[in-house]
Amino acid sequence: MAVTELALGVVGDESSFRRTSQAQLAWRRYRRNWLPVAGGVWVLIFVLAGIFGPWVAPHHYTDTDFLNANQGPSWEFPMGTDGLGHDMFSQILWSIRNALEIAVGATAVSFVIGCVLGLWAGLRGGLADQAIMRVVDFMFAFPSYFLNLILVVTLGRGMFPILIAIGITGWASYARLIRGLVLNMRNGEMVEAARSLGATWPHIARRYLLPNVLSSMLVALAFGIPADLVIMAALSLVGLGLLPPLPSFGNLIAQAGPNVLGYPWLLYFPAGIFALTLLSFLFVADGLQEAFDPKGGS
Amino acid sequence: MGVAKFLGKRLVALVVTIAVVLAVAYLLMYAAPGSFFNSTNIGASLGQLRLQNPELYRQYVEQFESRYGLDQPLWAQTLKYVWHSLTFDFGTSFANPSVPIMHQLRSAFPISAILAIGSVVLSILIGIPLGVVAALKRNTWLDSTLTTLSVAGQAIPSYVLAVLMVLLFGVAMPGVVPINGWGTVGEAILPIVALSAGNVGVITRYMRGSLIEVLRQEYVRTAEAKGVPRFNVITRHAMRNSLTALITVVGPTFAFTVVSTVWVEQIFSIPGMGNLMGAAFPTKDVPLSITSIYILSLMVMGMNLVVDVLYRAFDPRVALE
Repeated sequence: MAVTELALGVVGDESSFRRTSQAQLAWRRYRRNWLPVAGGVWVLIFVLAGIFGPWVAPHHYTDTDFLNANQGPSWEFPMGTDGLGHDMFSQILWSIRNALEIAVGATAVSFVIGCVLGLWAGLRGGLADQAIMRVVDFMFAFPSYFLNLILVVTLGRGMFPILIAIGITGWASYARLIRGLVLNMRNGEMVEAARSLGATWPHIARRYLLPNVLSSMLVALAFGIPADLVIMAALSLVGLGLLPPLPSFGNLIAQAGPNVLGYPWLLYFPAGIFALTLLSFLFVADGLQEAFDPKGGS
Repeated sequence: MGVAKFLGKRLVALVVTIAVVLAVAYLLMYAAPGSFFNSTNIGASLGQLRLQNPELYRQYVEQFESRYGLDQPLWAQTLKYVWHSLTFDFGTSFANPSVPIMHQLRSAFPISAILAIGSVVLSILIGIPLGVVAALKRNTWLDSTLTTLSVAGQAIPSYVLAVLMVLLFGVAMPGVVPINGWGTVGEAILPIVALSAGNVGVITRYMRGSLIEVLRQEYVRTAEAKGVPRFNVITRHAMRNSLTALITVVGPTFAFTVVSTVWVEQIFSIPGMGNLMGAAFPTKDVPLSITSIYILSLMVMGMNLVVDVLYRAFDPRVALE
């Protein structure tokens, strides 16, 4: 009797209980480690700096002050100035905005291309599937940074061209992921079980497919953004980064090169903040992966 | 399928892929706005010539174009370029019409190859023991420290690490290791360490994961049950299988390392392939740009092929296909 009541109680409570539980469980697992939480805080600061940076920055990124060139950190210039008298603090704030715009935009471009091709390959199958997966295999085997270089030469070194150049080469992993999800959905046991219990397709899509797909995609995007940040800055190292005077982390790091020993603050701050940001993004991505998929992962 | 047939098929695929990449690269660089002549590097001296003697300038440009075949129709240029590249006849760069690109490659390529191969070998030597330790001490503080460090190593790209090391050994403790140049063994230390941190992270994580997986297998329990010493169970039974899985990671790791050498060379002023690319790409020096990425891609794809053959040789369950 008690057992039946208990069972009934659970069943009666199920719909309201279960709807929140997946996200809540994931959140509980996410905050179990302090690193993903700390990383999340830094990512949040980074994003806020990217959004509000231009208003906070004491100087515009083109402002030069020759009388105060090559100054160390001070109250007026918290992160020092470079050889042209640019305020490094403002340069970094603008760099954060540019980095965010390009990385998020490029990831979105890759994601959309990946979704379209992945869905096409997974749903159509046959020749389309084979052709797309061939290209995906190539993109995985070929160092895509080299394609980025050629594309930047062709498209130019503005914000939008670089965004496209990075976005257009990064779709392979999303396409593979989405195709895998589609195949899993079509032939998977979960869907078969739900079908045999009489679930309708909209119900299956909402309750079973969407949560699965959403978490996988969130994890993929969390890994994708820092990867695009790395590529964007690396373009500057062979002289193909954002066209100066637009500041970016890559430009700051590449320009500082020869003067490093005399004016080390020109590298301390950009390299330090960039490193901290990439670390935070990866800890967040790693934390998300473990939160959503406690059994798998490494 | 026999090894010879497998190799033959893969080689044909490799050549076709490379040919397509070369053609696309050539077309894209051709479509790029501006030419080598308009870029600021060469503008000063030639710009003066153009003002003082337009006729001579025109002749110079025409001569230049016919020398590089730029006056021919695009399709002919592209086909010729691909064919010459595939037969390793690279010609000369735009910037340096008297020095064959082959000469520049001969001094630059070995440097990048040493950096990339040195880094991968070092990472394997360090990563495997770390992965084994992490797997055996699973869920202890040692394991979580190693795993966190692996994530950190993977998160920070080689060039940022290189910059941080330049600051450390240039500003904080100068004179310990050379932070610039190429030629002595000491000068190879920092670049190779910068290149290896991420790779060690990847290999440690992968080794840990695959060893944990293998240790769950029943044949390992059988070995333990029949009284094989713990050390032998791990080295002879478990590790042999997890190492086979590790071979698959070497391909992508090597590919990423080759790209990273380009970045790290710029930070440490090393005259490798990255140096050539840094000179060629911003000035739209088409032959040198495409040749340098062609040579590096060839190295990556060749390595992928070797890895595939090795994997199939070590794991008889995987058929050559």
